[in-house]
Amino acid sequence: MDPKLTEVSQFFDRFKAAFVRKDFDTCTKLLSELKVKLTEFRSLPPLFEDTPNAVHELTLARDIYEHAVVLSVKDEDQDAFERDFFQLKPYYTDARNRLPPSPQEYPILGLNLLRLLVQNRIAEFHTELELLSSIALENPCIKHAVELEQSFMEGAYNRVLSARQTVPHETYVYFMDLLAKTVRDEIAGCSEKAYDYLSISDARQMLLFTSDQELLKYSEEEHPEWEIKNGFVYFQKAKETTPCKEIPSLQLINQTLSYARELERIV
Amino acid sequence: MTQDVEMKELQAPSNSITSATPSTFHHLKEIASLIETGAYAREVRRIVRAVRLTMALRRKLKSSVLGAFLNFALTPGSEVHSRLSSYLPKDDEHDMDVDTATSATQTLAKHSLPELEIYCYLLVLIFLIDQKRYNEAKACASASIARLKNLNRRTVDVLASRLYFYYSLGYELTGDLAEIRGNLLALHRIATLRHDELGQETLLNLLLRNYLHYNLYDQAEKLRSKAPRFEAHSNQQFCRYLFYLGKIRTIQLEYTDAKESLLQAARKAPVAALGFRVQCNKWAVIVRLLLGEIPERTVFMQKGMEKALRPYFELTNAVRIGDLELFRSVAEKFSNTFNSDRTHNLIVRLRHNVIRTGLRNISISYSRISLVDVAKKLRLDSANPIADAESIVAKAIRDGAIDATLDHTNGWMVSKETGDIYSTNEPQTAFDTRIAFCLNLHNEAVRALRFPPNSHKEKESAEKRRERQQQEQELAKHIAEEDDDDF
Repeated sequence: MDPKLTEVSQFFDRFKAAFVRKDFDTCTKLLSELKVKLTEFRSLPPLFEDTPNAVHELTLARDIYEHAVVLSVKDEDQDAFERDFFQLKPYYTDARNRLPPSPQEYPILGLNLLRLLVQNRIAEFHTELELLSSIALENPCIKHAVELEQSFMEGAYNRVLSARQTVPHETYVYFMDLLAKTVRDEIAGCSEKAYDYLSISDARQMLLFTSDQELLKYSEEEHPEWEIKNGFVYFQKAKETTPCKEIPSLQLINQTLSYARELERIV
Repeated sequence: MTQDVEMKELQAPSNSITSATPSTFHHLKEIASLIETGAYAREVRRIVRAVRLTMALRRKLKSSVLGAFLNFALTPGSEVHSRLSSYLPKDDEHDMDVDTATSATQTLAKHSLPELEIYCYLLVLIFLIDQKRYNEAKACASASIARLKNLNRRTVDVLASRLYFYYSLGYELTGDLAEIRGNLLALHRIATLRHDELGQETLLNLLLRNYLHYNLYDQAEKLRSKAPRFEAHSNQQFCRYLFYLGKIRTIQLEYTDAKESLLQAARKAPVAALGFRVQCNKWAVIVRLLLGEIPERTVFMQKGMEKALRPYFELTNAVRIGDLELFRSVAEKFSNTFNSDRTHNLIVRLRHNVIRTGLRNISISYSRISLVDVAKKLRLDSANPIADAESIVAKAIRDGAIDATLDHTNGWMVSKETGDIYSTNEPQTAFDTRIAFCLNLHNEAVRALRFPPNSHKEKESAEKRRERQQQEQELAKHIAEEDDDDF
């Protein structure tokens, strides 16, 4: 075996050991060293040279990046997640024919979809979705994310929240928690438009707070226009901001002038 | 030119022996001379015409005719000649021998133009693709591309852009589009450096097609947004570009822009390109549905499209009624079609619109309805339909789809009285967009008008014209008289 390859795999073993110990600081340190070492392999993307150890090297590199992605989730670092995922992606797309499929592929792709959903990057979410085959779409990890997006778009928020109990992979919990916060903001936004008032206990239930205090704090911080009295939350204030009826004179003048100009050109 | 004429006369007898060929071969020679004059006079227009004429001949191309033409246009024994001949099937060896014998002697004097050489490549390539000899076609295309890289003549551009197209088509038919992506990118770079705008246009489309073939929307959009844009040279290429653009935008949820691109592509496409227009219409229908519009019935009744658009028609119907159950059954029934059209993911997105339409219908028909009934009417089947219905209605209210309020304690939805729309600015803005559209249409029409060259010189005064007409009449009379005299 190639000495360089042996060295990297030994390093990677140490990384995995630290990973199991949940010693994430050591992991991060080892990971950056590993990444530097990977640059020396010429069989990796973007070169894809056909070296004798190509399959070994590619598999190892893919393994390392897969761990890197999972590590970034444990670290709760979304930027690192995005970086590592993009480094990992060529191994799933361009190196598909050279390597046996990885068992981690679908969980990680699903994780990425979930991340895009949490960050509200729906266009990218759909772009990624187009890349998946119909077999991939049947995979529970991917399906989970796709169904979440659908429920989210429809407004069936309680379905989004109940999905947290059925996560297909333990790494998903972090993003599901983030999603829960987004959902709460959405519900709050919808409620203030849809209801005239709500009883405090209903509001608490709807916004997923465990105590009334949390609700009061939330409404103070995020929605100071809500009025809370007599055990009810009134949303009236938020609605009274309808624009007063005024003739949009400037706009009208502009339009009329442009008609005049155009007509002059014709006649 | 005189040489050409002579050759045609000499050729005639030898061709009449090899039956059936004379007309096609004759046409090919005419096209060749058209290309020659075009190349010498640097008139791209002539070459465009030559390519168009070739397309009309496409079905009549035969191995023997091509062999004869190669002998005519290229120096026999030269590298190009031998390479191109090797691609042609050898089944009618005998005929070719006759042709070689007769025409070889006559063409020796000709030095072959690069345009003609490229044209020969193009002809052979088209022939090979039509004969489904894809491996030879790929070899031929690659050879021609290698040759093209060394040619920098504006008169070749037109031919080159066609070659690029067939190059990509050959690879697409064998399913290895990914292989040539790097090559196409390199060619696009070369075309940009040479200011070959037609080439850039064609190659950009081929690249977009290449990316979209593998659903690489991200890459396609990045390339598209960074590639230089200019006024379109070829209508066909522009149509394709619009179609790809529409697809990309649809995937990225920019439905309004996507709709515009797709409808424009469908409208601009030539009538003969039925398949292309059907594709455009399919996508346009989905985009309009996603926008919450209902396409008119006439869209689905266009000539030659009824059958292909049938699944989309039923889909539209389901969305229009707002019936989730019907929508689901239609999606299932035509899932094969939707999968092969690769619109399946878009149709999944439509579910949301179906719910919205259903909800709007409910809100219009009832002034007050319990959430239980809403859930029943929408046929929401989940663990907790009432809570679902409540939040769905809440979101619809927030997004402005319906005008209503919710009463949580009683669990019902109260629709508000629909206000008089004429008390708002709505009609005024609608009116404005229509006026703007008409004015814009007029301006575009004026801009698209073409005037014959030198028309401004023709503006002679009425008097002069009368004078000239009188002269002409006199002349005509004279000629007539002379004619009479002869008899």
